[in-house]
Amino acid sequence: MQVTLIDSPVANVASIARALRHAGAELRVTRDADAIASADKIVLPGVGSFAAAMQWLTANGIDVAIRSAVSRGATILGVCVGHQLLFDVSHEMGTTPGLGLIRGEVRKFAGPLPVPQIGWNRVRFAKSPLFDGTDAFYFVNSYAAANVESEIARADYGGPFTAAVQRDRIFGVQFHPEKSSAAGLKLLRNFIAWK
Amino acid sequence: MEVIPSIDVLQGNAVRLTGGQFTLMTKYGAPEEVLDALEVEPGSRLHVVDLEASRSGRPVETEIVRRLAKRDLRLQVGGGIRTLRDARAWLECGAERVVVGTAAAESPEFLQQLADAIGVARIIPAVDVQGGIVRVEGWQRTASESLVSILRRLEKLGIAEILVTDINRDGALRGPSFALYRQLRAMTSMRIIASGGVASAGDIVSLSRIANVSGCVVGKALLDRRISLAEANAVATPNAIPERIIPCLDVRDGRVVKGTNFGNLRDSGDPVECAMRYEKEGADELVILDVSATEEGRRTALETVRRVADSIFIPLTVGGGVRSVSDFRALLRAGADRVAINTAAIATPQLIADCAREFGVQAVVLSCDVKGSEAIVRSCKQSTGLDAVAWCKRAEELGAGEILLTSVDRDGTNIGFDLELLRAVSSSVKIGVIASGGAGKLEDFRDAIETGGARAVLAASLFHERRLSIGEVKQFLAREGIPVR
Repeated sequence: MQVTLIDSPVANVASIARALRHAGAELRVTRDADAIASADKIVLPGVGSFAAAMQWLTANGIDVAIRSAVSRGATILGVCVGHQLLFDVSHEMGTTPGLGLIRGEVRKFAGPLPVPQIGWNRVRFAKSPLFDGTDAFYFVNSYAAANVESEIARADYGGPFTAAVQRDRIFGVQFHPEKSSAAGLKLLRNFIAWK
Repeated sequence: MEVIPSIDVLQGNAVRLTGGQFTLMTKYGAPEEVLDALEVEPGSRLHVVDLEASRSGRPVETEIVRRLAKRDLRLQVGGGIRTLRDARAWLECGAERVVVGTAAAESPEFLQQLADAIGVARIIPAVDVQGGIVRVEGWQRTASESLVSILRRLEKLGIAEILVTDINRDGALRGPSFALYRQLRAMTSMRIIASGGVASAGDIVSLSRIANVSGCVVGKALLDRRISLAEANAVATPNAIPERIIPCLDVRDGRVVKGTNFGNLRDSGDPVECAMRYEKEGADELVILDVSATEEGRRTALETVRRVADSIFIPLTVGGGVRSVSDFRALLRAGADRVAINTAAIATPQLIADCAREFGVQAVVLSCDVKGSEAIVRSCKQSTGLDAVAWCKRAEELGAGEILLTSVDRDGTNIGFDLELLRAVSSSVKIGVIASGGAGKLEDFRDAIETGGARAVLAASLFHERRLSIGEVKQFLAREGIPVR
């Protein structure tokens, strides 16, 4: 199954590419807007600053390409900051609009636990095409959405937050499946195989 | 688990005695002011000890208790209660329960009489233990009955919850007596209110994981502002966030090596084979430390990092010989998720801030090697004069996301972690601490997390030589109530 991985400079593209290949994807890594607009299955990675990641998307017309692919019926998976980019808005360093494909806002963790969250956390999935049941996944994040309509998985870090979302063919995971050993690879295989 | 703030009162003031001595007293002011400062919410439980009453054997600070009860606090009051009249006096002042110490251990008849008169639900027997022996009368005398027989009697009376103090830990901030509370689990089905030794939020997390501990009394740590009540309450509900087990590969010239106290290196295998085996066994993360001494060795290390990163799907932290932002970047490009800085950070602390700005705090690990209480430079074991705790705090301020804390004295010895060092650092910083140096048996992993406050535990030779598997460690921790993946 062919998967198009968006070659964002604000992401850990190499790690995700390796995990997707290992999970059986026939992978195309590109930053070409036309290629992305016409893709059927897209992975949007992201690490670091939301604003910087979003700015790169808009400056290169990738935001438009993603929206057009989605409206054509493409399937997309956002990973970590890539997942956050799917939302309406993030409150990381001011307020930055996202792609607006998923209703909700991304906010900083409030609570007693150290931020960023670095490490494994238990994620409870509702029955979904991505994953079924509860398993531990690896997180590195200071921001997250919470209590959103499209939530398909939840975790707790000093309070519940959204670990994964799905709206139609749009998926997002706050954790790093590429660093989550067998559970992460299983999730990627499910994404690759889903029709 | 319920966090129960505690104040001792004497001559109208909230006070604290050191070692139970009236001559070594710290005054904190009027009880109401202290409770306001601690932000004790209406409706919470409050533990009050009338010190004069425990000395003289009759209730003294009844006015204080009366005033506090009007604040809608659920008071449990103790201090030399030996007669039904004393107990009633406190209840009439508005106390919800009375804490009975010596009399609970020494006078079965009195306790029975008290239970008949006020009901067992309003009695909290307080048992003070020192090395498995119950002490009474202000810890001056050994109880005539054994701990087991006292517990059996209380349980038979219908008591559901007892307060247990480990005398050696009270007020000393050395940490609660986790081992004692665990032992009690096998001895009684009564719930335990743990008392004494809580010094950090981590201690509260650890207590909350022990199934029979239903409450913990916190005094000194709150009064001295080591933790806030809000923070204590927030961490008192056990969470399911797994603690991490991290095998460490010391790599030299493309091979895994392991020594003792940073010397006597032995070959321990191929890095890629080790890494893959450890992921399969359930490692939560992998650390590679380049211990090469030469430039050529370092180039080989970069290639090793690339090979390992290409063969595993768990996070990889790499350290050793990182001197600059560009060294840091090269390791991230080779496939490291995080990079540990050690010597160069001591020489140039600004490097931590520079790397945090460039790559994010999550990518920056301070590797701190400690000899005695001093941070040292790994390669040449050079003295730096830097206090390890102060240095770790500074690194946190500069932007380190986590601390890899290695005791050089314990490295490769398998005699257990330096728990005092771990406690000192983990209770002084908000970021996570990875315990390193000394892992030898299953209990060491538990103690590093429970007593040491570590959020992850690293081991090398133990895993390389297959004396323990990661799976065995995790099964053990899970049995002890510590969440693992």
